[in-house]
Amino acid sequence: MTQGAASIEPAGVRVAAALPVRFIGLSILALALPAIPFLFPVNSYVVNIFMQAATYGIAVLGMTIVLGYTGQINLAQAAFFGLGAYAVALGTVTLGLSFWVSLLLGIGVASLAGLVLGLTTLRLGGHYLAMITISFQQIFDLVMVNWTAVTRGPDGVPGIARPSLFGHHLADDKAYLVFCIAVLYAAIGLVWYLPRTRLGRAMQAIRENEMAAEVTGIKTLVVKVIAFILCAGLAGIGGALYAAGFAYVSPDNFSFKVSIDFLTMALLGGAQSPFGSTLGTALLILLPEWLRFLKEIYLAAYGIAVILIMVFMPEGIWGIGKTAWQKIRKPRTAKMGAVAPLDLDIPVEGQAPALHIEGIHKHFGGVSAVDGVDIAVTRGTVHALIGPNGSGKTTMLNVLNGIYKPTAGRVLVDGQDVTHDAPHVRAGHGMGRTFQNIRLFPNLSVLENVMVGAQRQHNPIGRSDAALRARAMSALAFVGMPDKAHMLAKNLPYGHQRLVEIARALAGHPKLLLLDEPAAGLNQTEKHELADLLKRLRGHGVTIFLIEHDMGLIEQVSDRISVLNFGRKIAEGAPAEVLRHPGVIAAYLGENVVAAA
Amino acid sequence: MFGKIAVSWVALALAAVSINANAADPVRIGLVSEITGPNAEAGANTVNGAKLAVEEVNKAGGVLGSPLELKIEDNQSTNPGSVLAVSKLGSEGNIAALIAPVRSTQVQATAPTIAKLGLPTMIGGSDYGLTHSGHAWLFRARPNDAYSAKVIVDYGVNTLKKKKWAIIFSTDTFGTGGKNMLVDELKALGITPVLLQGYTNNTQDFTPVVLAVKQSGADIVSSYTPFSTDAAILATQLRQLGVNLPWIGSATLASDSTIRLAKEALHDTYSVSDFFADASPESQAYAKKYKQTFGRDADFYSSWAYDAVHILALAMNRAKSTKPDAVRKEILAIRGHKGAEGIYNFDKNGDGLHGYNIVKNEKGKIVFIKHTAFTPKE
Amino acid sequence: MGFLSINLQILFSGLAVGAVYSLVALGFVLIIRATNVVNFAQGDFAMLGAFAMMTMLTALSLPYWLSFLLALAAMTVFGVLFNYGVYYPLRNRSFLPVIISTLGASIFMQNTVLAIFGPQAQPLEKVFKASGFEVGGVFLDSQYLVILAVAVLAVAFQYFLFERTLLGKKLQATSQDKDMARLLGIPVAWMIAITFIYSATLGGLAGILVGPVLFVSIGMGSVIALKAFSATIIGGFGDVAGAIVGGLLLGVVENFAGAYISVAYKDAFAFLLLFLFLLIRPQGIFGEKISEKA
Repeated sequence: MTQGAASIEPAGVRVAAALPVRFIGLSILALALPAIPFLFPVNSYVVNIFMQAATYGIAVLGMTIVLGYTGQINLAQAAFFGLGAYAVALGTVTLGLSFWVSLLLGIGVASLAGLVLGLTTLRLGGHYLAMITISFQQIFDLVMVNWTAVTRGPDGVPGIARPSLFGHHLADDKAYLVFCIAVLYAAIGLVWYLPRTRLGRAMQAIRENEMAAEVTGIKTLVVKVIAFILCAGLAGIGGALYAAGFAYVSPDNFSFKVSIDFLTMALLGGAQSPFGSTLGTALLILLPEWLRFLKEIYLAAYGIAVILIMVFMPEGIWGIGKTAWQKIRKPRTAKMGAVAPLDLDIPVEGQAPALHIEGIHKHFGGVSAVDGVDIAVTRGTVHALIGPNGSGKTTMLNVLNGIYKPTAGRVLVDGQDVTHDAPHVRAGHGMGRTFQNIRLFPNLSVLENVMVGAQRQHNPIGRSDAALRARAMSALAFVGMPDKAHMLAKNLPYGHQRLVEIARALAGHPKLLLLDEPAAGLNQTEKHELADLLKRLRGHGVTIFLIEHDMGLIEQVSDRISVLNFGRKIAEGAPAEVLRHPGVIAAYLGENVVAAA
Repeated sequence: MFGKIAVSWVALALAAVSINANAADPVRIGLVSEITGPNAEAGANTVNGAKLAVEEVNKAGGVLGSPLELKIEDNQSTNPGSVLAVSKLGSEGNIAALIAPVRSTQVQATAPTIAKLGLPTMIGGSDYGLTHSGHAWLFRARPNDAYSAKVIVDYGVNTLKKKKWAIIFSTDTFGTGGKNMLVDELKALGITPVLLQGYTNNTQDFTPVVLAVKQSGADIVSSYTPFSTDAAILATQLRQLGVNLPWIGSATLASDSTIRLAKEALHDTYSVSDFFADASPESQAYAKKYKQTFGRDADFYSSWAYDAVHILALAMNRAKSTKPDAVRKEILAIRGHKGAEGIYNFDKNGDGLHGYNIVKNEKGKIVFIKHTAFTPKE
Repeated sequence: MGFLSINLQILFSGLAVGAVYSLVALGFVLIIRATNVVNFAQGDFAMLGAFAMMTMLTALSLPYWLSFLLALAAMTVFGVLFNYGVYYPLRNRSFLPVIISTLGASIFMQNTVLAIFGPQAQPLEKVFKASGFEVGGVFLDSQYLVILAVAVLAVAFQYFLFERTLLGKKLQATSQDKDMARLLGIPVAWMIAITFIYSATLGGLAGILVGPVLFVSIGMGSVIALKAFSATIIGGFGDVAGAIVGGLLLGVVENFAGAYISVAYKDAFAFLLLFLFLLIRPQGIFGEKISEKA
């Protein structure tokens, strides 16, 4: 499917002619599918299987959002599915509510559960999240089986009635199947459109590099919670439709094994695409029916297939198709329309220093990485922080950024105390940052990478997609890379990646730019270009605070230098004095050299 | 001469037509059983019993002149699997009757689907409620748990003279229904159980259940455990924690698969049993034939299915039709049919048998203690 | 039963089942420390060990001690296969493919055993024919005693191996800093393979010990694995002593909760504890705080 932005040309001119052809083809296929049971004689068992595929498909689309887009593992999808199913089952059979009310109830309960699990991601990710979702799933299972008074325990709830739609009772299996397919298509449409939105981009940024996303201004916790809510909500819808379709639910249907099934369906087809997920679901439901005679081998092969997919085709079947397709068609080049010059001007707000580091201490256990440092950075200047390895420079930057909380001291940006603010909040105040080991979003396009930077809160541009795109293009043009907009970030050479990272920070219209060894890995030419870039930025009034080892670069661009050694500031002043300060030289080269000199 | 030829041709033609008419579609009975999953052994026994009966029916001329055929569907030992299997059989359109699985919980799950299909269905689940909830199409080829509970309580209180009862039961329909029956029967004798302990099917660890029994100070244990593996683990862990109380359990306790799993742990336990090989000439013949054909001992998992097939064939032949209403009428009218499980007298609810045996496991051999029969209320 | 004796009974059986969790958790933690991989198939090593033992005993009718040794030998082979088939191809990828891969391995192991042995649960012989003896109202089952004894031996052996032998030091070095170990000439890939072999064997041992108690079935490992995860988290993710303490603690707490609060929800306690620890103190009782380097 097409990546990211459509055209950046003046409105009205579409770029890729490939889009309509594929779209029409898919639409025909999509409309033809539900017609099949009416045109050909199929027995109700087959219709049942397709109905199961459709309802499972809706749930697996939830996995696309949380796993494919946001990169969070979720092994409780069957529990959310079950919440929707039981809501309809108990709602209609025990409480006598209508299907639609029960459906809403189911979506609500499932989403609430998704909210709770999403909140746990505040503390945990990766393996821990996997375990928390597993334990939630197991607890759900135990409650469904044992709370017999409410859930009817292992016997399950039989006799669930079909809903009526616009007065038409969907008792006929085929009619109900069409209804399920319609809901599935709606879900596919929603999930397909999501990556093209602000939220979707934020999700993908988190998947690619969560720390960079947080630092660039994305409220990572909120986005992850939303991802979980959407995922659970979709599963709830799927479960509700499943319950009414199958007319019977029992705890067996919603066990941990089924969660694994959902996961595998997403992975097989391609977790990052709604079409992939649906394909995976269809395959994994229909294959066992066709391969019944190979039953035992099939189950064992299932397990191996999962491993092989992870090793050889992590993007699933759809991903393979997409890669092949991209090799065939020509790569898109950005058509250069008018790109506005980058607006970097900062309104002057007061006399406070742009950045004030006040008595910062940062201890890790017994180690004092930063041991009481005070620095005041004047607005509109370039202030460098240097020191030998291990002197606490990166730790300092991480404290400024909010990745670490200081053990003592305060950080003030423009007079505002940000010491306890999360990194994305600081980004919202106009703090931008680049990393020592470049942290781009490798599988997003260059343009999307920079657009994420433009998405930070309180960015003085419009909120529309067009505004974000325009700002991003301007930032790219500023660093000299507008023609690379549609390339994948991971395909760029190192030096260009560095520039894109800077463009991403600039797209956020920063007051204060923190740069961590921006010259690392650059050759001489690239370093000259970097120095020019920094001077231009200073000319626009941006305050720059950077860590560097390259003394030549520092001498060229810095207005003031602070020197750290063993976590303490040992010198501060204009480059000329500081770089000849004996204490500084001793710190770098050792006492004996100075004595000998 | 031409006349003779013509007549012989016509005769041949008529014969051919009539042969074709006889070799018409077989009468199909759908059988839902646990072919795969944790209860596969019990399920295999059920299928074996049914197949034995089909062979016998066909040797005796089939149903309405046509051969009888089984269409078997696997329910994977689960409830949803049972629902799927029944709907699959129903959607094929040429099934005359059904044999539902032996698990009450599975029958419960499929009951609405069966009602929609309107096919006469023989069931093996023993939960009382299955034939007492107004369902028109379920007929039971085993005695229900109202009887088993009576028999258990009678033996435990009156013969073994135990008054402090611990009841262990699975939390599904079968276990809960059985427990309720036991509680009622004990109440009628003025006894309140000292422990009511439920557990979930397919539990791996019965330690807390056993500890609860120990804590309660019971002097007799009774149980309703549908699955062999659970029963075996319970037995083993009871012994591992030093509990050696007298124990009267539901039919699974005496089944072949449970005994093979639990071995010594089941020595000296009692159980109610609807099938007992030496109970009658019919059951003896059946047990012998089963052992000869399949090399294993017959138990209630196979005997009820065997009887179920014979009952359906009998009813269809008497009704001279496979139409559901006609077959239904004939099943309910069956009196004195001698099956492997006992003598069938169907009451208006669809229950065919009304009594239970008490048996004892003596060093691995099942020994008959006594039989209690009840007269069904008409 | 007297108050003291019933509680001692609960404690005893809790310790025994906790020891099984500890053995599985131990293998689990070793793999995490060496490779940073959370092996969701760890419980299935127990299952494989139990099935291997059962095959030797019943199908091949070998004497107990011979079967035991052969079953453990089989587990070392499985450890090698697992290392090269599941871990090695993904050793440089991020955590997500690896988690999923180990899940796939779990499915594969369970279904292959299903295809060979069928779904029915099977009994497994205890180590000693004697059933056990009673002391002061508390019944000490012989198999439970064996489990506790073996667990103690296993921990002692592990301590000796890791702290007192050169191989053990090399294994520790690999688990703490792979790159540095490599630079010092330690054959890292081989060390990791040994770690997997050791963990698989440990898991298999747990299965052989608990098989007679819980019966040998395809799913027996899954439940134990989840409890072992909980034990690891409670004790401290990545800490060996923590795995042991966590396992024992979990077994005892579970049993008491089952006895006094609810039989039906006994398993839920393990998961609840896991949930709570993950939220409140993810580093467990012994572990260190976890944070990502910028």
